Amino acid sequence: MSENHSHKDIEQQVSEQQKEQEVQKSPSGLRIFWREILKDKLALISLIFFVLVSMIVFGISLILDLDEVVKIDPFAIHQPPSDEFLLGTDKGGRDVFGQLIIGTRNSLAIGFLVTLISGAFGIIFGVVSGYFGGHIDNFLMRIVDFFMVLPFIMIIIVFVTIVPRYSVWTFSLIMSAFIWMGIARLIRSKALQERELDYAQASRTLGSSHTSIIFKQVLPNITSLVVVTMTLNLAANIGIESGLSFLGFGLPEDTPSLGTLMSYATNPTTLEERWWIWAPAAALILVLMLAVRNVGEALKRAADARQRRA
Amino acid sequence: MSKSLFGKFLFVLMLAFVLLIAACNSDEGGEDSSDNDGDDTEQNESDDDDSDSDSDSDQELYSIDDFESYTGEGDAIDGGSLTFGLVSQSPFEGTLNWQFYSGNPDSQVLSWFDESLLQYDENYNVTNEGAASYEVNEEDSSITFTIEDDVKWHDGEEVTAEDWAYSYEVIMHPDYDGVRGSSAGFAYLEGAQEYKAGEADSISGIEIEGEKTITFNYTELTPSLLTGGVWGYPMAKHVFEDIPVEDMASSPEVREEPIGFGPYKVENVVPGESVTYSKFEDYWRGEPNLDEVTLKVVSPSNVANALETGDVDLVDSFPADQVVDNIDMPNVQWLGMTDLAYTYIGFKLGDWNADEGEVNYKGDEMKMGDKKLRKAMWYAVDNETVGERFYNGLRWNGTTLIPPSHPAWHDDSIETPTYDEDKANELLDDAGYKDTNDDGYRETPDGEELVINFASMDSSDLSEPLANYYIQAWDKVGLNVQKLDGRLHEFNSFYDKVGQTGEDDPNVDVFMGAWSVGYDVDPSGLYGRDALFNFTRWANEENDELLAEGLSEEAFDTEYRQDVYSQWQELMVEEVPVFPTLYRAMMVPANERVVNYDISVGSGVYLYELGVTQEEPVVE
Repeated sequence: MSENHSHKDIEQQVSEQQKEQEVQKSPSGLRIFWREILKDKLALISLIFFVLVSMIVFGISLILDLDEVVKIDPFAIHQPPSDEFLLGTDKGGRDVFGQLIIGTRNSLAIGFLVTLISGAFGIIFGVVSGYFGGHIDNFLMRIVDFFMVLPFIMIIIVFVTIVPRYSVWTFSLIMSAFIWMGIARLIRSKALQERELDYAQASRTLGSSHTSIIFKQVLPNITSLVVVTMTLNLAANIGIESGLSFLGFGLPEDTPSLGTLMSYATNPTTLEERWWIWAPAAALILVLMLAVRNVGEALKRAADARQRRA
Repeated sequence: MSKSLFGKFLFVLMLAFVLLIAACNSDEGGEDSSDNDGDDTEQNESDDDDSDSDSDSDQELYSIDDFESYTGEGDAIDGGSLTFGLVSQSPFEGTLNWQFYSGNPDSQVLSWFDESLLQYDENYNVTNEGAASYEVNEEDSSITFTIEDDVKWHDGEEVTAEDWAYSYEVIMHPDYDGVRGSSAGFAYLEGAQEYKAGEADSISGIEIEGEKTITFNYTELTPSLLTGGVWGYPMAKHVFEDIPVEDMASSPEVREEPIGFGPYKVENVVPGESVTYSKFEDYWRGEPNLDEVTLKVVSPSNVANALETGDVDLVDSFPADQVVDNIDMPNVQWLGMTDLAYTYIGFKLGDWNADEGEVNYKGDEMKMGDKKLRKAMWYAVDNETVGERFYNGLRWNGTTLIPPSHPAWHDDSIETPTYDEDKANELLDDAGYKDTNDDGYRETPDGEELVINFASMDSSDLSEPLANYYIQAWDKVGLNVQKLDGRLHEFNSFYDKVGQTGEDDPNVDVFMGAWSVGYDVDPSGLYGRDALFNFTRWANEENDELLAEGLSEEAFDTEYRQDVYSQWQELMVEEVPVFPTLYRAMMVPANERVVNYDISVGSGVYLYELGVTQEEPVVE
């Protein structure tokens, strides 16, 4: 359906979409996506839940004092949930609720950032490669192949140990540097098809520049693919971040993230008796990932006319 | 449709799972609450949560004084067998010979079937209780040892003076590739270096006088000789004679069928995994109680479980961070002793001069050069609370650099700084560290910004909260302390940074480490001018003198030596190149059926007396 839009419509949409991509949790600019989500109740609930959690987490973390949350209190070690500590305290007497909020914020922020950075780079890389084809494509794809054979988790771990001080930003950059290849390959194969289509050929004959064809014509036409992949990647990236933090190679332990909270459960006693430290984080990871996935699945269906329910 | 159904299913499953965990937990909480009675330390911080008693078991307070190092005598049955757990992450190496072993796991395996001819008392001095007795001849700086008559190897041969001399010849042999041979017993032995260099055929300082008597001649007598310096392990010459020294460590006589003269003999070795011992009836102290002992490797994460199910009766050590959680285990008794170790915080005061092989103390140039600043940092931390809260009393406030595990040398009359924030502030103000630009942190007396880099190790679950706690405490007195590189460091990279290779990381200002100390109290290996392990790179003349005096011939007089080391401990409190933070308890669990076992040195309880009160381990 999107292909049937008039040229003007498309251009309008492009600018909207580009804005939307930065916050792809709400792809509402595309009516078709929106309709599919409205139709699928589970996806709708998931979307509402995800937006709600994000708002709560980012909202509360604005008021929370990070120094207060990570402050060690020897007199409150391993307290179970109570009025004072909603979700109890950990081995350093730190409030788990506060850590959960800030941890979720950090995990989500990393998830978003990594998806955006790796997505943006991967898309440009893929579309350029696919559009020009030939030697350029050959060369660029060998670079992708090279990055693909690297064991990226290992390399991220090594990087994290070398870089002396890192924050949410540097960590996101390190992660992005090694996971942009998937999306690049996907976009490239799509762009290969697009450039053979009449509109691209015609544009070229009429004298449009490559840049304008790539960004104003090819890219908008593969937006649906971009949105779907990035949504699904978001879930995966939150998972990778949590996994790395769990192993101790993510954010430092005193910068809470969902993974660091989970890693407390490596202590057998904490696992058996102090559920309040890790269970909320575990549940949140699971629910968040499911929610993002549900939305992603709905979008995927929307992008493919044969699977659409709406 | 099926996909969304599956999603719902997952969600429900997850909810059920969370609820299940919550339910399990509340049951456990109920059980725990029964053993909190009389725990008065809890009250001051839990005033408002009236019904919450779940966590109180975590806050219970223990003291090393509540634990004995001895299991008690009990009615041991005749015979019986016992399983000993060797707690280790990895398999043991299996170099089963005192001359060649290198790791603690191997030494645990060894101590069941072979022992030293020398026995030590609770102050780690050689006594005459062992298989050999000694006599010091001061006029010619020698020590004569006589081996008891009925000391026999497992194959029935006598343990002779010849065997003892042979172990020296092997260790000092030019082809010897083990790690022994640097202690005072070798360093001061006459003719040992010539032999090692290949210039002599035998060690001139060793005189064999008859089958069982041997005299070692030393260039100088030092008290270290009798506190672990003399090498007391003989080597069965009749077994090893024909093996070239360089092949010994890999020979079957070391790895598969090792020989000793201890209370149990090796029946079978499963490399890296387990060893079966049977009793050696001709053991020189008497016939051992147990028929059979099995040693097996248990991983630290399984050890609590293995003890609870009776899979092992006894272990060599127990992971410190699991002690408190398992202290109520019904079928074990906990043995405790003061560990020969302490945790400390050190200040970088110079660097290592590799050419001279000594420290290069730079005092005033360094960020931490001011004694008052260092002392204030000591006053600012509350180690008593750390010990009580993080370790439930099983670690406690350290005072001097000789831990109480050496009761004869530890001077507890010395006044050391204890937590006092006002005093810390006062000292800093005095020294000119004032907040001149109102950023909440003190600046140096010259008005420059002071950021102190703190290096700490990531060694246990508690490393991170502890490091943050100390940083917080210093923050309170206005010192801006940051973790080096913003994080903790892994064991080896930590010691690389503080200088185990001699290349100190110049960014480290303060660091937290731990030392375990040997039998010999002499601290020159850690704080001497020429000690690489003197990580603070601090030295002064008084220190040099005291350390030398502690090793002099006069120091053979215990009182004199005690006085020297008291002065030294005082000097270190005065100068604060490092300050001890925590002393530690070593806790070892034993099954209820184990009797006649003592984990401390010099208790007069020996391994051959070890017994069990029933055939099967107690399980509950």
